[in-house]
Amino acid sequence: MSFYLVQILNALSFSMLLMLTGLGLSVVLSLLNFVNLTHGSSFLLGAYVAIWWLGSGAPWWLAFPAAFLAAALVGLALERFPFRQFYTRTHLMQVLLTYGLSVIFADLMRWGFGAQIASPELPEILSGVVFILDMPFPIYRLFIIGFGAVLALALWFVIDRTIWGAVVRACVTDRRFVETLGLDTKRIFTVVVAVAAGLGGLSGALGAGILSAYPGLDEEQLILALIVVVVGGLGTFRGTVLSALLLGFALTFTKVWIPEMSNVAALAIMALMLVIAPQGLVARKVRQV
Amino acid sequence: MTETVKAFDAAAARSTQVNRRIACVAGLLVLAALVPFAASDYQLRFAAEILIVGTAVLSLDLLVGFGGLVSLGHATLFGGAAYAAAVAARAWGADLTLMVGIGIVTGMAMAFVTGIVVMRTIALFFLILTLIVGQIFWEIVFHWRSVTGGADGLRGLPALELHLGFTTLDLSSSRALYITAAVLAFAAWAVARSFVNAPAGRALIGTRERQLRMSALGYDIARIRMMALLASGAIAGAAGALYPFVNQYIGPNSMHWTFSAMMVVMLVIGGVGSLYGAFIGAAICLGIQTYISSYTDRWQLVVGLIFVLTVLIMPRGIVHGVGSLMRGKGKP
Repeated sequence: MSFYLVQILNALSFSMLLMLTGLGLSVVLSLLNFVNLTHGSSFLLGAYVAIWWLGSGAPWWLAFPAAFLAAALVGLALERFPFRQFYTRTHLMQVLLTYGLSVIFADLMRWGFGAQIASPELPEILSGVVFILDMPFPIYRLFIIGFGAVLALALWFVIDRTIWGAVVRACVTDRRFVETLGLDTKRIFTVVVAVAAGLGGLSGALGAGILSAYPGLDEEQLILALIVVVVGGLGTFRGTVLSALLLGFALTFTKVWIPEMSNVAALAIMALMLVIAPQGLVARKVRQV
Repeated sequence: MTETVKAFDAAAARSTQVNRRIACVAGLLVLAALVPFAASDYQLRFAAEILIVGTAVLSLDLLVGFGGLVSLGHATLFGGAAYAAAVAARAWGADLTLMVGIGIVTGMAMAFVTGIVVMRTIALFFLILTLIVGQIFWEIVFHWRSVTGGADGLRGLPALELHLGFTTLDLSSSRALYITAAVLAFAAWAVARSFVNAPAGRALIGTRERQLRMSALGYDIARIRMMALLASGAIAGAAGALYPFVNQYIGPNSMHWTFSAMMVVMLVIGGVGSLYGAFIGAAICLGIQTYISSYTDRWQLVVGLIFVLTVLIMPRGIVHGVGSLMRGKGKP
């Protein structure tokens, strides 16, 4: 019993990471119809920045804002050039551009941070374990669950309940209409892309504590995030949350039951979801022209 | 009057276009025929690899260029067929006919499985689903150590040969391998071309351009796409069957999605929808990789930069880019 409780918590913490990574990707994809394959690079950059920060002796809790800022700044620069030129281009071109960029970033990060696996020195308050029904459970994972839940709630609040969120949602629905109201959508896009990249970096910083950071992690996380976003359905907050939970639980429990074939089973579940609901778990109604 | 002139101009333009295309293909053929006399063993093997990978990219062009279906799982078909051929070669010997046959069957079977899953989706969803299905195949190959060798891959393949009934040709030398690859590449190009010009291929272009109208006209979209996938899988499979014999090795990287992405990059660098551009793209990408990696450890950086610059400067690929430069037009 307690074993499964621990596994459920494990799955939850992993789902939180998937959700945070996926949300950044999802908002860019649904708002700008832009496939950003550099999102994995943001994740890895955030992870490296957090690891470096935690090792530097500065206040530990600032590592997360630092990772967010670093990734957001890179996102901001990228949005100015060359993303902006590619919003109206085909997905193929976007995939190519951002894949090329992600290859460049992967190599730059291997150059700057080394090719070995880097793990953060967690502060005392986050390291160690707690006992849940006599089973040890890392405090850090509880921290991820808590932090992720708070962040997700805050994001939901901003998107769903504030005027800024309303503007972004309006842009998703009809960009031209928002422009006729006198709002500068270009600036909105810049901010959204930067925040999305920042979210990627923040999830990387959070994830570094359980996944560490190494070359190749960017690709792994990118794939998982893409799957989460697409299976959840474009442009829906609920869909992304749902599919992140589904993938997180699928990956964790298949590892418990069939460790050798866990990825196959988890991927098959997600593929099945897409076959059953080709538009995603929570589909936006789209008029077909 | 003007109408006639226009029609005449159009016909003339078309015929020069056709002439230019024929000249292009003839030039490539002559070039391909001259390579065995000038190149070293290593270069010949490298040229064979370019032709084989180029053939796989050509099969991807059927999907991307004509069906508008961007697949990120194409390396799976190619690599899967390569594994099937390697495993079969170790069991029954490496007869070329058998290898290509097994490659085609494996490629088509995997394309069929992929097709069943992805049939109802397009655009981004197609991209992700092909990626997922491809990664599932990759995971299976990676973990099925007893057959595929897992992360180590398979080595020690028998020499490739061709049984002709009365005699047996040994194809293990670099020159023979290159010629085999060249014949395969040409055959694949001819098959792909005739597919594109056949009613099925025309219908495929129709589904790319106006999906709704095509289904209103009574075309079964899913079926047309499946046919394209199968044709593409067959060509990729035939190419894949030769791939293990180039380096006497086949590893799981040949099925990974990053290789699929690489194929898409090759396709775009060469030029989408031109078919023969696939070989140019493959030659450029593999050439850059091999050449630059012998000079610097940061070769991935350079390769990435070249991708990005290509997309920024020549979004329609080298073939169109150079072509429009030669014609002196900025816009293609």
